[in-house]
Amino acid sequence: MSDDENTTTSTVTFTPNTSEKIQSALQSLTTIVNPTLSVTSSTTPLSILNECQIYAQIAALLRSPNSGAGDNNLCRWLYDTFQSNVADLQLTILRFLPIIAGVYLSRVAERKPQAGFEAVLLALYAHETTTRAGEPVTVTIPDMSHPSVYHESKTTVNKNNATDRNIAVLSPLLEPHGTVRSTRRARIVGVAFELFYSKISQMSIAPKIDFCKFCKIWAGQNGDMYKYFEDEDDEEDEEESNEVKIEKDKESEEIKRGRVPMPWELLQPVMRILGHCLLGPNNKNTKLFEAASEACRCLFARAMHDVNPNAILPMRSLLRLSKNIDEFDATEPPKTDVISL
Amino acid sequence: MESNGDREFCANGTCMKTAEVEAKLDQGNIQDAETALRDGLSLTSEEARALLGKLEYQRGNVEGALRVFDGIDLKAAIQRLQPSLSEKPAKKGPSHAESPSSVTQHAASMVLEAIYLKAKTLQKLGKFNEAVNECKQVVDAVEKVFSQGIPETQGDNRLQEIVSCAVELLPELWKQAGCYPEAIKAYRHALLSQWNLDNNCCARIQKAFAAFLLYSGVEASPPSFSGQVEGTYVPKNNIEEAILLLMIILSKCSLGKVKWDPSVMEHLTFALSICGETSILAKQFQELMPGVYHRIDRWNSLALCLSGAGQNKNALSLLRKSLHKHERPDDLVALLLAAKVCSEDPHLGAEGAGYAQRAVDKAQGVNEHLKGVALRMLGLCLGKQAKVASSDFERSMLQSKALQSLEEAVRLEQNNFDLIFELAIQYAEHRNLAVALRYAKQFFDKTGGSKLKGWRLLSLVLSALKRFSEAEVVTDAALDETSKWEQGPLFRLKAKLKIAELRPMDAIEIYRYLLALVQAQKKSSGPQSLSSQFGMV
Repeated sequence: MSDDENTTTSTVTFTPNTSEKIQSALQSLTTIVNPTLSVTSSTTPLSILNECQIYAQIAALLRSPNSGAGDNNLCRWLYDTFQSNVADLQLTILRFLPIIAGVYLSRVAERKPQAGFEAVLLALYAHETTTRAGEPVTVTIPDMSHPSVYHESKTTVNKNNATDRNIAVLSPLLEPHGTVRSTRRARIVGVAFELFYSKISQMSIAPKIDFCKFCKIWAGQNGDMYKYFEDEDDEEDEEESNEVKIEKDKESEEIKRGRVPMPWELLQPVMRILGHCLLGPNNKNTKLFEAASEACRCLFARAMHDVNPNAILPMRSLLRLSKNIDEFDATEPPKTDVISL
Repeated sequence: MESNGDREFCANGTCMKTAEVEAKLDQGNIQDAETALRDGLSLTSEEARALLGKLEYQRGNVEGALRVFDGIDLKAAIQRLQPSLSEKPAKKGPSHAESPSSVTQHAASMVLEAIYLKAKTLQKLGKFNEAVNECKQVVDAVEKVFSQGIPETQGDNRLQEIVSCAVELLPELWKQAGCYPEAIKAYRHALLSQWNLDNNCCARIQKAFAAFLLYSGVEASPPSFSGQVEGTYVPKNNIEEAILLLMIILSKCSLGKVKWDPSVMEHLTFALSICGETSILAKQFQELMPGVYHRIDRWNSLALCLSGAGQNKNALSLLRKSLHKHERPDDLVALLLAAKVCSEDPHLGAEGAGYAQRAVDKAQGVNEHLKGVALRMLGLCLGKQAKVASSDFERSMLQSKALQSLEEAVRLEQNNFDLIFELAIQYAEHRNLAVALRYAKQFFDKTGGSKLKGWRLLSLVLSALKRFSEAEVVTDAALDETSKWEQGPLFRLKAKLKIAELRPMDAIEIYRYLLALVQAQKKSSGPQSLSSQFGMV
């Protein structure tokens, strides 16, 4: 695990109630995992909960067989902690969403009972529903013929034309769900991802890398053939040794098995998160960028296999943008041999 | 440190080679270097240090540059400048090189450039917070003193250049320091205040801001502006603001005001696709100047946009053009998309089969992975073509060819859910119900029951096999797994099952319930429209 944990810069008001809840969350966690506590002067119960080591342990437990069952202790802890309504604790739980959703979706076809995971996902869904009061999220697409704060327009504004507007629905309205009906599964997981995206600037690198890895699996397509996508110097197929080829084929088979249906309600939030991982301000973390690039290629391959224009267009753009990351820095003074005032 | 024998200092009308001074700097002797420069070009201590700092920066000696800049009291220098800079020139007209206003502007640009370079050195050293402080000083000083914008002078526009660079740099530094709300403020400040930025600089800042809004995950509070004209569009969230900025850049490109930058179009494609507004994206492609994209690329991108927006007929017209034998007849994406569009209309089945076959032939080498997809399209098109066949013989021949293609496809694409579904349908239409059931079950299992059409198909195939009680079990289970507004088709199915089982009273009950459901939906503002209820999901 990398050490790049973003410390939350938000100020936390610790009411006595909040501290108690954090403390009790930590205590109940110790019955499930084994934290080796390295106590320094700045160690708080919250910082322990957010430690890399704890993340790794919980992640491993989430991946173990039967981890999503209804009586699973870890799921119980995740659920209870999220329901505590302490914002910091909720962020802590939210970090595990990629793994929870990833393991959950890939086990659906195996018909394993996953009431534990579903409870956590429903809690996230309910939280988002409450925050939005169930309302849809809309976007009004600007019309260039109307002036805006950033530009003037030559055409005279006809006040009667004010309703000539394009309103796009970014996320439809939310109905409450008490259980995960299979036809609503994608929407519920998608909304959980919308919540994840809204807090993504407060997420550390590890959950983002896990997210990218799961994208690869959900896509169910190998994306290697797009490594040199639209490159001018066409790299011919590299000479691969037999062992490498066999490894790759094995991996391909594994990847194909993990394929999940990706309707728009799941795909759209996934693409937004991927866009952040690829092009957001992540301090140029190379591990994340590589994981995100791979995920991008796989999802693009998936879009091509589905011949889905609504997915081909954004994924193609992400792929192209990821290849042109290092741009010319216009704020750099030009090189010159004449030093003058 | 590289020493370039060709470098020279120039000031006060004279020039001096840098070699001697560079040697002193390499020995760590800043004071001696400064003295040598002062004597050589008759400079003040401040001016000499400013030149030394610039030299070190040019040489790539970032730490050395910082040491030099630290030795100048830049804050005091700014203070001294301020009262004299706020004097406006008394009359307009050509100003001499020696007139007071241009001299003080000259001094101002020297100081501000030094601070700017200090900010750049701090940036290169990764000290972003300190870099922000320096850069901010430049911006604040200029704002205080030149509240009406920098006056035009003849001669070099050094000051304007420095200001433009500082204004462009500041939000980037905030970003690198991880202070995202401040970065947003700085971007807006750069774009909404009067800095006399040239068009390309402005466009760069707009693009950087748009990218930040789209990908940072930090939701900016909407900009607040006073004195707006009614009807002015004020963005309410990140995506709106980003789309607005990108569209503005594109329209400036169309007017020839800024250089074309393809990444702007990619960002806009991403943003509009995420919103599901590919029809607006199509308009943007259409409004681009010809030559920006190769016409075939433009047609293909347009076709993707239009098809995504459901305008398949228009998409197909464009694809026919781009797939013409004199254009780019072998483009796999275009072929597959064209075949897909054709596969939805029996009258286009033959045409689609043609495209699909070409795609099968072209799916080689790095594109080999698309062969299964092409075979699927071929199977679908042949199946549709069979529906308008003029003879029974032709129909059955096309149908078996269709099945053959689909079977070949599924060998290559075992987990392609849509393909498995289509195989089930084809076999059902062929009256091979046993195989249809096998594929229907496979589709159902692999999608985990998440597709309503999977439930319906399973139930229908079972009822075609006269296994009514099992069909009913499936339908009841489906009702449990769907939300109210999607249950219409399932109730219809259930009622028909009851009739087939010769239980008309049960069927009537179900129809009554279904009617109530339809009435309820008409009244409420449910998410599904009536027509989508009875279409395939």
